[in-house]
Amino acid sequence: MRLEPAVLDLDWNEVERRARLFIKKYVEQTSSSGVVLGLSGGVDSSTSAALAALALGGDKVTGLLLPERETYSNIDVQHAKHISERFQIRTETIDITSALDAFYRSTPSFDGRDKVTKGNIKARMRMIYVYYYANKYGLLVCGNSDKSETMMGYFTKWGDVSADFAPLMDLYKTQVRKLARHLGLPEQIVKKPSSPGLWPGQSAEQELGVDYETLDLILCGLEHFMDSEEIASQIQADIELVQRVMFRWLTSEHKRRMPLTTKIQYRTPGMDFRLARVTA
Amino acid sequence: MKESVRIALAQISCNLGAKKQNMEKMAEYVWRARDQGAELIIFPELSLTGYTLRDRVYSVAETVPGNSTKIVARLAKEAELYVIFGMPELAERTQATIYNTAVFVGPSGYIGKYRKLYLPTHSVFEEKRYFRPGYHTGVFDTELGGIGLTICYDIFFPEVTRLSRIQGAQLIVCISASPTTRRAYFETLTMARSIENAAFLAYVNLVGIEDGLQFWGGSRLVGPSGELVTVAACDKEDLAVGEANYVDIKPIETFIPTLKDLRPDLFGKLKEAAEEL
Repeated sequence: MRLEPAVLDLDWNEVERRARLFIKKYVEQTSSSGVVLGLSGGVDSSTSAALAALALGGDKVTGLLLPERETYSNIDVQHAKHISERFQIRTETIDITSALDAFYRSTPSFDGRDKVTKGNIKARMRMIYVYYYANKYGLLVCGNSDKSETMMGYFTKWGDVSADFAPLMDLYKTQVRKLARHLGLPEQIVKKPSSPGLWPGQSAEQELGVDYETLDLILCGLEHFMDSEEIASQIQADIELVQRVMFRWLTSEHKRRMPLTTKIQYRTPGMDFRLARVTA
Repeated sequence: MKESVRIALAQISCNLGAKKQNMEKMAEYVWRARDQGAELIIFPELSLTGYTLRDRVYSVAETVPGNSTKIVARLAKEAELYVIFGMPELAERTQATIYNTAVFVGPSGYIGKYRKLYLPTHSVFEEKRYFRPGYHTGVFDTELGGIGLTICYDIFFPEVTRLSRIQGAQLIVCISASPTTRRAYFETLTMARSIENAAFLAYVNLVGIEDGLQFWGGSRLVGPSGELVTVAACDKEDLAVGEANYVDIKPIETFIPTLKDLRPDLFGKLKEAAEEL
């Protein structure tokens, strides 16, 4: 396999068709009333929302806009509203600042200077709201995680990744952008730099230390069992970069699995109970 | 041929996927075993790489002989010791066909290998997903006597040790990665395989926790009447050294003459019945 950008090209009509069918059938199988998702105005949540609306009809999709004081972005809110209008999605806007403040104030060890732990509180607070709506209205939570951030462990454990299903999880970030363009999303959203929105000015590419075009080719190589030397040579990248990506991928598996337990009995959750997801 | 052999059971934990570090640990154990007068040292199943490799197996598998075999063989030469260890073996003429293999080296270099015949694919085990099974027993006629190699789940199938025994093995080696939940089976079966074959059996298990699986250790050298010659600790690394006196086999082989009383006429029936199961 040649690791060049074309390797990430897919038949976007087919991807759209399969994702829509998947969402529609899962909502039917679970007898859910629809789906709810966090709508940040970024490319991932906009694409998830669009797919869900195309699969179910906009009236079955609830988009939650969950801004907070520190990371508030007028452009993001405008983009989220554009998506909701374009795909006829119901939205609710809840400013989570006061809930976050309550957490900060009530937690003696809280240190606002520690931006990672503080940022993770925001991601988990958003999860609480999304699951509240799911619980209250019989909805499934549609996750917005893509394959790049999932493989890199670039998400908050039990935070933004929490969902009942995640239609984009097998698409790398650059592929999500292509799918978004295929679905007719505006270029401002398609090309918008990715950010988890945990602190002001946070940039995914800066934090990951690599642009998504390069990262996705490295991850695609790893997915196909290529070794780091071969990947580095093919894409003419530093071997250290490829090894760093591989290390991060391997050491973040704990974020992608059930909690670790130790095997004591006959069959064990997360180990050798192998059951299909069935619904009542 | 020697009348007895001093055997070191090197019950180690492994650093998953880190061959260099694991070989460094193996070297440390080799020299410790040498200091204790051992002539043969045995490491657990997949001890070069750790057991729960899953998809990483493709990036660490090597041909046998290959680089790691050469390194361990050099160590065996320097220490004048025979070494048995486990590793994922990449088939020579393919790029991703892998065996779960026991490698045997000695002071004169590479001796041979055994590819695991029975690959557990149930409970927490997924070996058939990754490994191709072997097709032959691994019996080697060495200065240390006839040695038959087996790996872990093979011990549940008495025909493997039986065939190895009648092909000339006086010492059956079973390298293993057995989780705690299987302890009682291995404690029983190591004795059973020794008794029914009037042979010594050296069982060497992995220890430590990998991906939630606790390997219990408990490595042991069992004599031909099922007696424990030496036993390693449970749940921690250990080096247990014991002696297999081959002269002990003769009185046992006469007292309970399982080899003399073998009934080959039943084997054909066994094959027919197994095919119809």
